[in-house]
Amino acid sequence: MDSTTLRIRGLRKRYKGRAGVQANDGIDLEVPAGSVVGLLGHNGAGKTTLVNQVVGLVLPDQGTIEVCGVDAIARPQRARELVSVQAQANVPITGLSPRRAIELVGRIRGAERSVVRRRTEELLDALDLGQWADTPAQKVSGGVARLTAFAMTTVVPGRLVVLDEPTNDVDPVRRRVLWAQIRGLADEGAAVLLVTHNVREAERVVDHLAVLDRGRVVAAGSPSELTATVHGALTIELDLVHDAAPHWPAVVTPVSHGHQRAVGTVAAERAADVVGWAQREVEGGRLDRYALVPASLEDVYVQLVGAEPTTPAADEGTIAAGVDLTTSAEEIVR
Amino acid sequence: MTALRTTALLAQWQLRRQAQFMPLLIVVQVFMAVATVVGYGLLVGDPDPEAALFLATGAPTITLVTVGLVMTPQMVAQARIEGSLDWMRTLPVPRWSFLAADLAVWTFIALPGMVLGVVAGALRFDVDLSPAPWLVPAALLVALTSAAVGYAMATVLAPQLAMVLTQALVFIVLLFSPVSFPRERMPQWLQTAHEFAPVEPMAQLIRAGLAQDAFTVPGRSMLVLGLWCVFAVVGASAALRRRA
Repeated sequence: MDSTTLRIRGLRKRYKGRAGVQANDGIDLEVPAGSVVGLLGHNGAGKTTLVNQVVGLVLPDQGTIEVCGVDAIARPQRARELVSVQAQANVPITGLSPRRAIELVGRIRGAERSVVRRRTEELLDALDLGQWADTPAQKVSGGVARLTAFAMTTVVPGRLVVLDEPTNDVDPVRRRVLWAQIRGLADEGAAVLLVTHNVREAERVVDHLAVLDRGRVVAAGSPSELTATVHGALTIELDLVHDAAPHWPAVVTPVSHGHQRAVGTVAAERAADVVGWAQREVEGGRLDRYALVPASLEDVYVQLVGAEPTTPAADEGTIAAGVDLTTSAEEIVR
Repeated sequence: MTALRTTALLAQWQLRRQAQFMPLLIVVQVFMAVATVVGYGLLVGDPDPEAALFLATGAPTITLVTVGLVMTPQMVAQARIEGSLDWMRTLPVPRWSFLAADLAVWTFIALPGMVLGVVAGALRFDVDLSPAPWLVPAALLVALTSAAVGYAMATVLAPQLAMVLTQALVFIVLLFSPVSFPRERMPQWLQTAHEFAPVEPMAQLIRAGLAQDAFTVPGRSMLVLGLWCVFAVVGASAALRRRA
């Protein structure tokens, strides 16, 4: 049996009107059962349009979409039975409690009351939402609302689960739990399409990635395939004392500088030199802190599509990731 | 069966989402229904028995039409603005269920006002009502038709535009439709226009349902209303199925 749950071929969609945006411009994408596929891209890259076509909210101009072999364009209702979606914006559930909202969606998706109740309890527990489970939704924080939306989507998961920025507003601790849940969905056989621009975190859970830019897939492959081009390179990040550009040693290629931060790349075999230099800078009071990290998927992503304005969510991701990266920097130094 | 269950759950969702303001909504509905009767009474002074019967039997139509043409589309427009409608539409729910669920919720909210409006009218003007056995299905037909029109409007038009338009419509229904007064009081052109609009047949149907001894429904009106109902439900369903 074919294990590809979602298969998209040559998908094109142009929004008419004065602006006339070509939102999808010939997209091919596959999401096999039991795997997490990351769809990366800037705002406006065409990610949400793609998702909306899968569940029949938007009609493609060209191309095919199959969900478990069902033609999703011809039979949108059947496709919706097979797909569950967490939207990018939080669904307002004013008047309901997280528990009530999750249970109702589970039952609307056709599951028995007892099954839904058990699964809801499991999710509330796993996501550590017990404290807010019966609080009216208008009184819960953005992070709790986001996790509730995730639970609403996965209480009765479709064969394909689409998650659009599931970690936005979620605190670092629950983020880890959330990633584990996402991985768990795939391990239980669902195909997971993870739409995000949080590249650093996505890298750790996805099996496969597609980078979308202006409606096209500009790169696709496993994280290690995509980062192959930067193997053997390291990134050095500096927290500067002043705003002036650092005097990098000759072995470093400067990448960016601003807001008392500077980033450069260095060949792995010259790392020791750079660490020695950075340590002297710290001791001399010219540098607050430094970290040496493996060149990441994020670097590849930025190379492919260019930098994007930092969002608060992306900031948090960087901080959360930074904790781990310090460890790897220590290992590199050792 | 599954579709009915889904619709009931969807209605439960919508109802619970309104729970916070539900008592207030019901009070406002009751107030509006009673005010229509009493307020018109003030406008026309001490009406003769015929005019009084018109007023008392017109009020429930006003309530039903207001719910369908104003409340339901405002709820849809609101859901579109806050973004919940798009997500709800990703659920495996038959498209007409959205219409049916919202209609059920708002009819439920409007019910107390409708009944009390009739009671207030009967007491205030001391009229004798003679309800027909088909009053309830007739009221449902009127509610469905007006809600479907409202729904199609709110789904096709920009949400803000739909909201403004509903306000204009309620004004027309309240003051320029032969609901609470006989059609002869309106200019000829407006009478003609109402021969093709759904409001007058709705009023005639409810009126005859409440006082079958005094009023009958012309066959033509039933035809016009039936056409509007079919047209509106088909239109609303198409609007709900529409893909951008």
